[in-house]
Amino acid sequence: MKRKAAALGVIALLLIGGTRYRPLSPEAALGRGIFFDASLSASGRLSCATCHSPAHAYGPPNGRAVQLGGPGLDRQGLRAVPSLRYVLNRTPVWSKTYIANPAERILEGDEPPTGGFGWDGRFNTLHDQAAFPLLAPNEMANAGISGIAAKLQRAPYAAAFRQVFGARVFDDPTVAFAKARLALERFELEDPSFHPYTSKYDAYLDGQTKLSTQELRGLALFDDPKRGNCATCHTDRKGVDGSHPLFTDYQFEVLAVPRNPEIAANQAPGSYDLGLCGPLRTDQAGEKKYCGMFKTPSLRNVAIRGAFFHNGRFHTLKDALRFYVQRDTDPRLWYPVSASGAVETFDDLPPSLRANADVIDQPLTHHQGEAPVWSDADIDDVIAFLRTLTDRDAEAASPALGVDPPAR
Amino acid sequence: MQKICRPLCAMLLAAASALLPNFATPAGAAAVPTLPDIKHVFVIVLENKSYADTFGTSTQDPYLQKTLVPMGGLLTQYYGTGHVSLDNYISMISGQAPTPDTTNDCLPGLTGSIGNYNDVAKTGVTDDGFHQVIATGGCIYPSTTKTVADLLTESGYSWRGYMEDMGNDPAREGATCGHPLIGIGTDITNTAEAPSAEVPLGDAYATRHNPFMYFHSIINHPSCTVNVVNLNQLTTDLARIRTTPNFVFITPNLCDDGHDGKGTGAPGTLCANGQPGGLTSADAFLQRVVPQILASPAYKKDGLLIITFDESNYTESVTVNPSSGQETVDIIFSGAVCCNQKPGPNLAGVRPGTINLLNTPSLVENIVDNGYGGDQIGAVLLSKYIRPGKQSSIPYNHYSMLRTIEDLFGLRHLGYSADNISAGYFPGNFALDKNVFK
Repeated sequence: MKRKAAALGVIALLLIGGTRYRPLSPEAALGRGIFFDASLSASGRLSCATCHSPAHAYGPPNGRAVQLGGPGLDRQGLRAVPSLRYVLNRTPVWSKTYIANPAERILEGDEPPTGGFGWDGRFNTLHDQAAFPLLAPNEMANAGISGIAAKLQRAPYAAAFRQVFGARVFDDPTVAFAKARLALERFELEDPSFHPYTSKYDAYLDGQTKLSTQELRGLALFDDPKRGNCATCHTDRKGVDGSHPLFTDYQFEVLAVPRNPEIAANQAPGSYDLGLCGPLRTDQAGEKKYCGMFKTPSLRNVAIRGAFFHNGRFHTLKDALRFYVQRDTDPRLWYPVSASGAVETFDDLPPSLRANADVIDQPLTHHQGEAPVWSDADIDDVIAFLRTLTDRDAEAASPALGVDPPAR
Repeated sequence: MQKICRPLCAMLLAAASALLPNFATPAGAAAVPTLPDIKHVFVIVLENKSYADTFGTSTQDPYLQKTLVPMGGLLTQYYGTGHVSLDNYISMISGQAPTPDTTNDCLPGLTGSIGNYNDVAKTGVTDDGFHQVIATGGCIYPSTTKTVADLLTESGYSWRGYMEDMGNDPAREGATCGHPLIGIGTDITNTAEAPSAEVPLGDAYATRHNPFMYFHSIINHPSCTVNVVNLNQLTTDLARIRTTPNFVFITPNLCDDGHDGKGTGAPGTLCANGQPGGLTSADAFLQRVVPQILASPAYKKDGLLIITFDESNYTESVTVNPSSGQETVDIIFSGAVCCNQKPGPNLAGVRPGTINLLNTPSLVENIVDNGYGGDQIGAVLLSKYIRPGKQSSIPYNHYSMLRTIEDLFGLRHLGYSADNISAGYFPGNFALDKNVFK
């Protein structure tokens, strides 16, 4: 049916889950096959979908801080696996707007860097991004492009690959590799499973259900600019066209999440993952003010995750939220304390760069000994709200990770 | 600047006693200036550049300086009416002076108590003949506050605002009459959006540079969706006289108006869409759009094109406390006015004033407004009625532009575009200025 529609040039619409979607393009349909193909990894057991599990809103299927890859599936990745849901179509290319007038620059906010794919925004397109996991030694671990092309040529969808991209597409491994990445990109952009909008909050926005008293309390705390201030970055309002919010503004932020001892690379003293300024990303290495910056993720389906922040330092939403509101009021809870009792705050930044940590935006403006902006009961309310962001098809994933789905 | 204006204002008053607009009259010209028969006015507003840069030292705008200025008339003493952006745009179409919020782009938590895209909190109207809205704050004027657009419509003239990028991202703003939802938090159009798969061109429309969106008389009316449109519509509209509005107001996006970007193209100084911005992008925009206007039948018949800026640039002062090492950065606006401009009823304690934005042991950041004006920006006029390559040093500001447009279409005077000769106030009408007009 899809091929026929494409051949006829007909833009047919499919009705899926009450929403009208265009059929996948031939490239996207091929990309689906590639996305789920574990034979494209050195281990033969790792596909894109292994870490970006469709049953888990295209996020990780377990609570590991980072996922395992490599030929023996025994090498740690460097960063927590993000969900691919919702954000892919709308992630802007990486940019840092320069506002010429310093008064407006200050008044309107010296725009932080924004966008790009990955925690450090180093890929402007999905087809660029797709090369990284295929070639990374601690992910799918292919030795080179030729090997990937050879695997594509042996894949069950090889004939379809030739049909879509030409009979001689495998003549040049570079071309085959580029086309495979293009197909992946089309699948990720076109497939409706990446943006189902079936959460309780979506139904609430459409007036089809009501939030509970606790969920509404949580939403108010989430929105309050003088307390949680979450919605400033994790945008939660409808667009002017009625489009539903994606809970991210794609901007970069230095939260100074504590160093995670679960990541083996962190055993090496002096080794830091500084996000935007490196080491994975290299083009902004000279911008020291960017060190420690990671991109704001969407909070949709956050309640089914078992690893939070770029390094997966926390494994429960409660801890993640407590860190936000108690980072500064009680730093001993989060950072190492020396024998002398000194707290090494912002310990996952080199000492010379710890001033980069955000101490300007609520709730990160407080000081040791002050009361946190949220009580434990408040945090429970916010968690109740965040659970309303879980898509219907991902609710089944919640119990496996020890969390309850939202009350419908 | 007050010192510069004072003798000119005295001259204006003397001439006004003879019921004549009192502009400089070149030797041999007619003694009684008459308005040119202009019935199509095109306005392009660029952003945040000082006269000395735009028409002097900058090398980024050769088309404006070396092509358009020789083709047109240059108003060297044209002033913005405030800092920062929004209050200037509002003054251009309504004659209203700022509220404590519009004077700072309706950014919350600065000098206004309301901010964002919210209604003006009106407490009254001045009875001094200028009908200034007295307000504690807020940004969107009630339906009773009229604009030149309203007056044009009432008089049977057409108008349109052409906004580059408006509606590129329909989640941010509509493609027509685009503005944030009233009363719903932060105005996200304050920030340019870079291109994405869903929004391939990005979206650098800024509501605060679209003055029509701040008047309920416009946004509440169904015709708003017809009259405030994306710039893409301009080419079609220019094709015929009957499709070209009498009043055309053009706002480029945040990059093409020079607001964003440094203009050098150097990494780290670009716009969100990757363009160089600054006067470089503004000049490229003019090269793209101005020839279309100049070639249009309406312009050729009876057109006037006005190219100006909203406000001037700044100066910066950095001092370091030798004992503490604390650095203080002051971004300073002179806030100079011309034309005996009045501050309006809402700026007590706001302008002049200093806004402290950051105060840490190592760094203090202040914005210092030493006045309530918008400083010298300049304006270029193009028309068959203009004497090419001529200049005028008579002071004008955005209220003067409004008055000029009103007079050309025979409209009443709104807000501070009105005069009060006995009180020494006359904003000027540059269409009567024989230094630049034939």
